[in-house]
Amino acid sequence: MSVWELVVLAWQGIVANRMRSSLTVLGIVIGIAAVIALLAIGYGAKLESERQIQALGLNLIFIRPGAQSAGHVSMGMGSSVGLTMSDVEAIREVCPAVAEVAPGYDSTQQVQFAGQNTSTNISGTVPEYTTIRNFHPESGRFITQQDMDHSTRVCVLGQTVVDNLFAPGENPVGKKVLIRGEFFDIVGVMERKGVTAFRDMDDQIFVPLSTAYNRIFGFNSVKGKTVQYILVQAKSEEETLPAQFQITNLLRLRHHIHSPNPDDFYLRTQKDLLQTSEAMSSVFTLLLGSTAGISLLVGGIGIMNIMLVSVTERTREIGIRKAVGASHRDILMQFVVEATVLSLTGGIVGILLGIGSSYAINYFTSWKTEVTPLSVIMSFTVSILVGLFFGIYPARQASKLDPIVALRAE
Amino acid sequence: MIELKEVSRVYDLDATPVHALRGIDLKVMSGEYIAIMGTSGSGKSTLMHILGCLDRPSSGKYSLNGEQVQNYSQDELAAIRNKTIGFVFQQFNLLPRMTALDNVMLPLIYARGSVRASKEEQLPRAQNALRLVGLGDRMNHRPNQLSGGQQQRVSIARALVNNPKILLADEPTGALDSQTSKEIMTLLEELFTQGITVILVTHDNDIASYARRVVRLKDGVIISDSLNNR
Ligand SMILES: Nc1ncnc2c1ncn2[C@@H]1O[C@H](COP(=O)(O)OP(=O)(O)OP(=O)(O)O)[C@@H](O)[C@H]1O
Ligand SMILES: [Mg+2]
Repeated sequence: MSVWELVVLAWQGIVANRMRSSLTVLGIVIGIAAVIALLAIGYGAKLESERQIQALGLNLIFIRPGAQSAGHVSMGMGSSVGLTMSDVEAIREVCPAVAEVAPGYDSTQQVQFAGQNTSTNISGTVPEYTTIRNFHPESGRFITQQDMDHSTRVCVLGQTVVDNLFAPGENPVGKKVLIRGEFFDIVGVMERKGVTAFRDMDDQIFVPLSTAYNRIFGFNSVKGKTVQYILVQAKSEEETLPAQFQITNLLRLRHHIHSPNPDDFYLRTQKDLLQTSEAMSSVFTLLLGSTAGISLLVGGIGIMNIMLVSVTERTREIGIRKAVGASHRDILMQFVVEATVLSLTGGIVGILLGIGSSYAINYFTSWKTEVTPLSVIMSFTVSILVGLFFGIYPARQASKLDPIVALRAE
Repeated sequence: MIELKEVSRVYDLDATPVHALRGIDLKVMSGEYIAIMGTSGSGKSTLMHILGCLDRPSSGKYSLNGEQVQNYSQDELAAIRNKTIGFVFQQFNLLPRMTALDNVMLPLIYARGSVRASKEEQLPRAQNALRLVGLGDRMNHRPNQLSGGQQQRVSIARALVNNPKILLADEPTGALDSQTSKEIMTLLEELFTQGITVILVTHDNDIASYARRVVRLKDGVIISDSLNNR
């Protein structure tokens, strides 16, 4: 009997026992659907975070004060000087691989407009910020060098702040908000950026760093103005490593750190973030893989169970087939193919269900999903393998039956 | 054609072995028509199963068309059941989910090697076999839509579809009324006249009278073997 004839035969058997077949493959259906949908979510998230990281450019370097410990947690903030404005100037002047430098200082403050109150992040920054973060005003303008030089009381609002303080359709540019008891002119509104991997980019107000020192944060160190972080853009992606090297050397010299003492600051590049995000998504994939493995194991055992029942129920049929000349192999194949068709049917239904749910997730939630062809091909293959693997034992039981014994069965 | 020598069959269930056949010697020539008779439990079915290669003797020799088949493997026996011998059971043994035609197709589907009919040949051969037994108009009926006699005809068609030279029938009329039995016997008679060797088991003297030779069994031993004077 050819495999195709066996497939047709198996399909007839499955259709004849529709209810039982559906219940049998339910485990496989759910397992495969879950794998497809979860992998689609995982892959979508990975693409999205990569897109965000790459949108910033791989030549971006973050510098923060504090010794770098294993968990990227800054240590010894109190004892170290931190990063100062003079460090910023030095980096700008000394390091040849560096294109732009933007120091920053953030603080959460209460903000008011016409009786509306909100608490948001006040980000003291410099004009270079827009280039480095690739984050631009949608209307009005950003902070300029004149604002810096004259410490003017101007600010640029993020979209979330606009949503919180202003009525829909109202144009904030030209109005004034109250920050820490002082009125600031709103000169621009940033474009909507959304939530990046780390924070809501839209929930902040930008002010000139110089103004921030004078009016909001105050001078905060005997050694001059400290900054919370420095954003550095290397001249190109290839210049990122030299820039890191140059900055590290410079800062160690300036902070009088001698070998073997560790840095009192740490650098992180977008490449590091990309690697972290990739490592995270591979852990995610691994977890999914094990979940999938377990659900398919359960599904496979379900199939094996029902195939064993089926062999017992159809003992007489097996006897009849053997009596008219079916060989050991004919019977073996019949049941293996039946288990495989059953499992593959479950697999295909699961694949369709999985694709359907990832579209639904895409449509109804904010998660971006992306079904990978590989997950579909793998699910297809795995459901065939599950059928083969769990079908072989019941099929062997069937093929070993003695024709006379089998014919006598009721 | 068929030659049994010292064939015995012992079922060793539990502690006490059952000697269903003890030293059977039997020769069957091509084109014979034999009835096997005997009381219940005398070993008729056991003998038929061995003749039909559904079972193997515990000891002794079975020569079929010159081949010593007593030591054949299960698969070799399956091939013989498929092409050399047709077997008809008292309980018909049709697959209930399949149509008459599909049931008759089974031996064609399981045929191997040179005896295997090509795809295009299979269907007409099965149809012909059903026409031969007078069921040309019932091909797509399932067993439960057919009378007992019709079911037995289907099973005869199935036994014949690979053109075997030997037809074995274990109480083929055992589940049928006397009128239907007669029709089945007429069919077997017809097959016999076409040259097929027919061996059947029966309790019924009327049925046995169709055969040309009667073999009687008792307690697993042949107690008489005589020609019918019809
Ligand atoms: N599978 C088996 N296991 C154990 N004993 C068996 C088996 N098959 C048959 N026997 C025994 O072998 C003996 C012969 O049985 P067999 O079926 O050949 O009788 P039979 O002549 O066909 O009887 P009947 O006319 O009732 O069909 C009986 O004593 C029976 O109990
Ligand atoms: Mg019997």
